[in-house]
Amino acid sequence: MELYELDLYSMIEKLKAKEISPQELYESCKARIDSCEENIHAFITRTDDFAKKQLSENLSGIFAGVPTVMKDNLCTQGIKTTAASKILGDWRPPYDATAWKYLREAGAILMGKVNMDEFAMGNTCGNSAYGPTHNPNDISRVPGGSSGGSAAAVSAGYVPFSLGSDTGGSIRQPASFCGVYGLKPTYGMVSRYGLISYGSSLDQIGPFARTIRDLQLVMSVIARHDPMDSSCFREKNPDFTHREDVNIKGKKFALVKEFQDFTLDAPIADAMTKTRKVLEDEGAIIVEVSLPVVARYAVACYYALAMSEAHTNLERYDGVRYGYTVTDAAGVKEMFERVRSCGFGSEVKSRIIAGTCLTEPSRCDEYYVAATKVRTLIAQEFTRAFGETDYILQPASPSMPPKIGEVDDDEMKGYEADLYTLPVNLAGLPGLTFFTGYAEKLPVGLQLIGPRWSDPELLNAGLVLERHLGQPKIANGGIK
Amino acid sequence: MLTSEEVNSIALESRLVLTDNELVGAVRYINNFLNMLDRFKELDLKDVEPFSFAEALECPLREDTVIQFPQTQAILDESEHVDGAYFKVPRIMEE
Repeated sequence: MELYELDLYSMIEKLKAKEISPQELYESCKARIDSCEENIHAFITRTDDFAKKQLSENLSGIFAGVPTVMKDNLCTQGIKTTAASKILGDWRPPYDATAWKYLREAGAILMGKVNMDEFAMGNTCGNSAYGPTHNPNDISRVPGGSSGGSAAAVSAGYVPFSLGSDTGGSIRQPASFCGVYGLKPTYGMVSRYGLISYGSSLDQIGPFARTIRDLQLVMSVIARHDPMDSSCFREKNPDFTHREDVNIKGKKFALVKEFQDFTLDAPIADAMTKTRKVLEDEGAIIVEVSLPVVARYAVACYYALAMSEAHTNLERYDGVRYGYTVTDAAGVKEMFERVRSCGFGSEVKSRIIAGTCLTEPSRCDEYYVAATKVRTLIAQEFTRAFGETDYILQPASPSMPPKIGEVDDDEMKGYEADLYTLPVNLAGLPGLTFFTGYAEKLPVGLQLIGPRWSDPELLNAGLVLERHLGQPKIANGGIK
Repeated sequence: MLTSEEVNSIALESRLVLTDNELVGAVRYINNFLNMLDRFKELDLKDVEPFSFAEALECPLREDTVIQFPQTQAILDESEHVDGAYFKVPRIMEE
């Protein structure tokens, strides 16, 4: 077995026991990246020099010497951070995102910044100014998005874990497409300080890994209070300690009544059946909950709010303080227009215009305010549902990963595909994508949702499923 | 239905100048999107409060203490529009 094939827990154990050195681990992961990256294109920026500098220092902490990558919307001090947009140019942030700072302080080694849909707007990782990332399980297919680079890097064995962000499914859907585990934590569980904002009331940072235990390890480091994010929890740190003796006997797992009429690709429907049987065999009780407002209105509600928040958040990109700019504009209006028109990609421009439209005084009540009220109904519906069940089981996506370039031209159809993930963000819930097996060499993932702040219990339930459904293998990364 | 003139005017409010092709795409996109949002009209939202997280109802405050930020020069280094320790933008008053 090559060192890059180890999971995070095993790497930590071997490093602690001095069976391997951080340098050896770095070289193994780097060689793996060098051999696959031409096929996958997960990176926007590789940080070999920074990693070597880290390795030359005294490393301490639980992750001392473990390689990782960050989605390129997480600020890394002095290292180019682009959000996959031309408008940020070669911007080097003057500070670290808190989640990355906690990992760096724990000794994690940064191998690079990875690809995403521009400003996290998309679900294919093809909407990037730096070109598309390919799925390591089948390089003709998309890895999902927006955190496609983070999912692909873990799936291909570049690193044992990574961080992404999830505004409407951007961790859970690519985790499903790439065959890794991904957690979108409860809103407020992980500090958003230093995350380039898309929809601030929806955004959340979370981890990818190849085992549930590894997700627990990462969460034990990044789920800490941060005074720089007023939405970050203020209670004592949650307990993500790994335990072998967890069980789900007597726990209730719900299927959503209204979703039963919707079509799923056959491998995903089969995975639902298989998982349901595992749960029943483990003594869990399968129930049904009704979420009619979620089923009919969540997609419209989500996009109305996400675009309204995006239009405000993206007003800051004007070419004055950082990123792409022009120096020969006759006046400030011309400068802003030239910078923004040339710097933003087409999907981002569409969403900015839509957000501007929805929040104009003449339309604000009809669309934006209405959406904030629909969101209340959606959150109330989940609260009622979690009075009747402990978890909700559903797909992370209704379909298997499409071929690159075969994505539907009708954006609204693409948005509807997010129905299984985005309600979780609207209600601020935690959602876990877990691996269920392979269908014709493509991994199939499903999603487990819990009430707010139930992240540790959600991962424990994931451990039981992992025990029975097995762990994913490292993808071939396009190497025959 | 929004016309191309209306969409163009909204784009300009956002400081975006669209090409003819982009404008055609944006008009189709916005109108499809507004059609999707028309679903809200099926709901009676009169007595529903706008959403907020329960935790957000209390505004957390930090101690009012000065924290040094030593990266001022790093911030200025990122801009091409700097004059001394300030950002300098092109003229705001049009000719």
